[in-house]
Amino acid sequence: MSSGTITLTSSDEVDITVDRAVAERSVLIKNMLEDLGDSGEAIPIPNVNEAVLKKVIAWCEQHKNDPASANDDDDNRRKTTDIDEWDQKFMQVDQEMLFEIILAANYLDIKALLDVGCKTVANMIKGKSPEEIRKTFNIQNDFTPEEEDQIRRENEWAEDR
Amino acid sequence: MFKRRKDQDSAQPYKRLRTRDAGSVDRLSRLSNELLLHIFSFLPVSSLNVCQRLSHRFHALGGDSELWKRQYYSEWVRPRARRLANVRRTTLPAKTDYSPKVATWFDHGHLAQEAKTNWKRQYRLRHNWSRGLCRFTEVEFPQPPCPPTLVRFCAGVVFSADPAYGLRAWPARDPASCMARVPLTAHPKGPPVAPTALAVSQVQDDIEISVGLGNGHFSLFVLNIRTSDLSFQSSHLGCDGAITAMALSSPYLLVVSQHKDLTLYNLRHGSQRAGKTGEIQEPRQLASLRAENIVAPMTLSLRVSTFDIVATIVYSFFHIGCGWSLGIQELRLDKDGQQLDSRLATTVDSQYGLRPPQGLPQSQKRRHSATRAVNSQGVTAGTPTILHQKPPTSMSYSHPYLLTSHADNTLTMYLVVSTSDNLFVQGGRRLWGHTSSVSAVQVTNRGKAVSVSARGDEIRIWELEMAISTLGSRKYFKEENGVKLSPEIKQDEGSEVAPVHHNLDRVDHAQGLLQGCVGFDEERVLLLREKTGTQLLGCYDFT
Repeated sequence: MSSGTITLTSSDEVDITVDRAVAERSVLIKNMLEDLGDSGEAIPIPNVNEAVLKKVIAWCEQHKNDPASANDDDDNRRKTTDIDEWDQKFMQVDQEMLFEIILAANYLDIKALLDVGCKTVANMIKGKSPEEIRKTFNIQNDFTPEEEDQIRRENEWAEDR
Repeated sequence: MFKRRKDQDSAQPYKRLRTRDAGSVDRLSRLSNELLLHIFSFLPVSSLNVCQRLSHRFHALGGDSELWKRQYYSEWVRPRARRLANVRRTTLPAKTDYSPKVATWFDHGHLAQEAKTNWKRQYRLRHNWSRGLCRFTEVEFPQPPCPPTLVRFCAGVVFSADPAYGLRAWPARDPASCMARVPLTAHPKGPPVAPTALAVSQVQDDIEISVGLGNGHFSLFVLNIRTSDLSFQSSHLGCDGAITAMALSSPYLLVVSQHKDLTLYNLRHGSQRAGKTGEIQEPRQLASLRAENIVAPMTLSLRVSTFDIVATIVYSFFHIGCGWSLGIQELRLDKDGQQLDSRLATTVDSQYGLRPPQGLPQSQKRRHSATRAVNSQGVTAGTPTILHQKPPTSMSYSHPYLLTSHADNTLTMYLVVSTSDNLFVQGGRRLWGHTSSVSAVQVTNRGKAVSVSARGDEIRIWELEMAISTLGSRKYFKEENGVKLSPEIKQDEGSEVAPVHHNLDRVDHAQGLLQGCVGFDEERVLLLREKTGTQLLGCYDFT
């Protein structure tokens, strides 16, 4: 089909039609289309459900004109956890959706979206105490008090700033 | 592809802006290690340390060496690259981003090359140095302090030499226990002789020690680092008078006697690996010179390259216009001791702004016609920028850095430029910061220096590379210099097990009289001071 649209099938068997250019933000889909040719058949995305897939597609729509990430391993990218405004709004979702987006971006190989997701999580960690982080993510503390004390002392050198 | 738990109810419709998460599912910990590391890569160092305290798994992930390698790179390597690029007036190479390639790591390449570098440890070490955070331990040397004990520090081992106890070796990690000791004698069965000079040099697993004695002999010893076995090798008659200074860069030994005789020896003449079998042959005297104008304090240095040996004597002398100045005599010899070249440079030249202007190739020799160039401090040439009315209290030369300490609370830094056709001294820049008389300074060829005040109560750490980079330009990066001066206070933790952190500025040892800065390596600074009749060896550990 040369109409420029393709169909994706989510894990819960819902067909979603998107522009091919939008879908190709996903390196996985792009490679599939290149390898298999565009047969016009729906592409199954077995790891992503409809809600998440729609969300991911919404992000791809917004960013379809972004230049390909040239500075692939740029350290500045890592240094800053700044997220642009649209993406910030986009990421105002519950934790379940946030992690679903991260998993989907990882699976679909959409690096920029994965970074936005990971930055969002990093921002939830930054500046918090261990107890606050545990509470935020429901992390089980499996240290003995002695171990915890020892690690606290090992790491106190970097606490300032 | 990832494994996901099926219980993440894929059928549940997604609600926008639902703020509270129902239930107590730890979704973060469900992510793969790979994804967690990706998240961690966006975190600053302080948050990484906090994450390590969350759980066992996070502890392991947060300590990931690759993460810390990146942090190390962006904190210590890249700023340096940027600085170097600034100095050379070149544009920053486009690719200053993190790269695992060793070539882009500048002087940190030795770390990047080693496969098993613990990057968190390295980061922490650099961090502590830059803040002046360290643990302090002190050991008493049980002996009368007169005549002064000679102390050297090499490869994590402290060597001390005095007439009563002979040559002793102490591990820097635990200076309370003596590793080994041998008596100091000119002959194996002779009476003990007072040591007057001490030099050490590391050769693979061995540390070679040369002790100069009051009767003109020098004795050679070898310490095996693994077995802690310290053994006497040989003793030789060097010169008539007492040996006053030595520099050892195995297999070459440079000796200066009381009578100002300068002698260079090849300790392993004839046989390549004689040292290994313990049969050091009679050292061969390679060159002997008389150096009339050497005035204490002086410092010797010996650089051995594949082609030649460079012996350098730095001494101080009084110049009418410039006050106390430094002279650098550089002797280049080939491996057989044939003298190739002998050159002299003094700091007087640079004082008058006769240094080749910035940007010109160094082959353009300094001109002695007094061009009224404006020097780095903005003072016109003709007025010495640095005028010392008293001789320096100590000096340290490790090519290309030359540092002197002064009783007027300052240090002066010079950069020695030694090319195949030129030798001159660049700069001459005061380093401020000490609040009392500075009595000792030590510098390494990496540009890290440690200086100590006369009473031993104030220790400062300097990263000279940054200061050097501003030598030629008129700009001053005072703040950059200031950051390095251990400005922050780390509170002592009340707990007994906790290591006690001392801020170097605040270490207070009343009545402690400094004997001399012993030395430092990547991890610690050692200091010998005298307190009411006893000698104390202080160890500042930055790990």
